[in-house]
Amino acid sequence: MFYILILFLLIFALFLRFIVGVELRSILTIYLLGLIVYFFSFAVAEMPTFGNPHNPAFNEVPERYLEAGPSETGAINIISSVITDYRAFDTLGEATVLFVAIAAVVATLKSHRD
Amino acid sequence: MMDDQIVRITSRLVAPFIQLYGIYIILHGHLSPGGGFSGGAIFGASLVLIALSFNLEAGIKQISHQTASVLESGGALGFALTGLVAIAFGGNYLANRSAGFPLGEAGQFFSSGAILVITVFVGIKVASTITTLFYNIIEKEEPLGNHKQTD
Repeated sequence: MFYILILFLLIFALFLRFIVGVELRSILTIYLLGLIVYFFSFAVAEMPTFGNPHNPAFNEVPERYLEAGPSETGAINIISSVITDYRAFDTLGEATVLFVAIAAVVATLKSHRD
Repeated sequence: MMDDQIVRITSRLVAPFIQLYGIYIILHGHLSPGGGFSGGAIFGASLVLIALSFNLEAGIKQISHQTASVLESGGALGFALTGLVAIAFGGNYLANRSAGFPLGEAGQFFSSGAILVITVFVGIKVASTITTLFYNIIEKEEPLGNHKQTD
């Protein structure tokens, strides 16, 4: 509901660009941005509080990692066991992103040399 | 680049300790906070420090362009090949225990099977990536083509 309202306001603001002057346009921009912040703060207020044991993030997955991680992977650092064992394929993708990024940088910076 | 005696001597004293700390962070990734990404960043930062406090030539003497690019590709390749080794041992891609890597006793240095190997490869890759990126950005532009310039 709020999102539809915000979308409507944005379209309205785009429409107003063509019919009002610069000063009124900047005032309207600030007003509309404040309105958007006001509505988004409702969404932030709905978010679960940090560290609450009843948060949806505390389900059976981290429970399994914390309880069976050291015996299943042999690493006592649970983060390490997640990123290089349970989610190792994801880390391979991260390494690939780094590789592609550096390849792009070198190709861009050295493109003028022969 | 910077011609300062204090900066040069201090960074020459500090750089080996930063490198040792980076290697420690990489090798103890399965035991303590850290791992390949953070340890590699620390190791790469020490090479950046040398290149900044002396000059680019001193940094390139530590690790040349050729070595850096070989290490970078080798790190990514070694990571992927570790996954293939797991397939050869009869597990899934990048499997650890199910592929039969020796897990050892949790908490010891030689434990956690493929995790230690993968962490070392990621550390090598990140360190050489940071070094390559820095060298490429601060390098002087060479004159275009065969056009000769006199200083």
